[in-house]
Amino acid sequence: MSSGPEPTKDSDLSRRGFLSGLIFGLGGVITAVLGGAGTAYFLAPAFKKEAENWVDLGPVSAVKPGMPAKLEFVERKRDAWVTAERRSFAWVQTSNGRDFTAFDPRCTHLGCPYRWDSGKGQFLCPCHTAVFDVNGKVVSGPAPRGLDRFPIKVVGGRLMIRPQPEKVKA
Amino acid sequence: MEWFNERSGFDRVWQSLFARHIPEAKGPVAWLYTLGSASLFVFMVQAVTGALLAMSYVPDPGHAYDSVRYINEHVLLGSFIHGLHKWGATLMVVLVVLHMLRVYFMGAYKYPRELTWIAGVGLFLLVMGFSFTGYLLPWDQKAYFATAVGANIAGQTPVVGPYVAQVLKGGPDLGAATLTRFFAFHVLFLPALTVLLIVLHLFLVIWHGISEPPVRQR
Repeated sequence: MSSGPEPTKDSDLSRRGFLSGLIFGLGGVITAVLGGAGTAYFLAPAFKKEAENWVDLGPVSAVKPGMPAKLEFVERKRDAWVTAERRSFAWVQTSNGRDFTAFDPRCTHLGCPYRWDSGKGQFLCPCHTAVFDVNGKVVSGPAPRGLDRFPIKVVGGRLMIRPQPEKVKA
Repeated sequence: MEWFNERSGFDRVWQSLFARHIPEAKGPVAWLYTLGSASLFVFMVQAVTGALLAMSYVPDPGHAYDSVRYINEHVLLGSFIHGLHKWGATLMVVLVVLHMLRVYFMGAYKYPRELTWIAGVGLFLLVMGFSFTGYLLPWDQKAYFATAVGANIAGQTPVVGPYVAQVLKGGPDLGAATLTRFFAFHVLFLPALTVLLIVLHLFLVIWHGISEPPVRQR
């Protein structure tokens, strides 16, 4: 600037000191805002919770007590900008018509689809002869744990599941 | 710090980069000398925000638009980062043009600084390339038809026009191949070339020093 008092050599704040302070100060603010925003953008996935995705399996009446039913469903899952559609099914059983259990249709041994044998009253896996009872407990065979379950609830007379299996502790 | 200086010569690097002598200029004229640094700063912002945007963008006709929407609506500060990149792109063109005009009207491109000017012209063309390729990436109506117009303009070139347009589009039609092509140019080729030319440009700026503002002759 053309006017203003000349700074003396031993003044507390010289023009040069003031300006470099200003540059580093403003630079720091800009870096903090941009860096902070960028870091937040980058790290945000760490705090993202998985969306609860309940799928309709049909009316409660589809499952008779003591007679597990194979119920098919279509799961529409949002995967960021993609909506993936997946066809699958679940085995649902009830003993009293009020409390339901939904099983992941994959055997816990190596993932084969098992079937219900109504004569024996057991789930049989064709691959390596794993056998489970109506509650999904291991009866015999190589399965390391009982059948995995899907969270299930009844809403307005319809069965709803979240098709992410929860492991049953051995 | 002493240890670091002794092994890197950092204090001398600092001296020649930031504590070098620059011409004395007053008032509005002094501000004209900031346009180059401003362009460099905006370029750095574009590089960082661009890298962040690339984390959630797909250059595919089926998903490009949805992924941009995902950034704007579902990513924390996504619309802010996207906005910075978009407005930064506009500001970049403005700053680069003003910088060029400053250098031109002050005659700062003259001997011995012709090579600096040539590198600068190269950088200007690269900025135009960034603008053209980046404009397509959101894959909305505006992006699509702006690029269609751009490709048609290239197609008007005598003799080679149709071939130039097809090379731009990656085929006879504007579509998937165009988008991946433009994306590759926008994030791979152009940034690499730009960094090279910026290094050359800045080296020459420091090597020759900055030219004095012109003096009025009576």
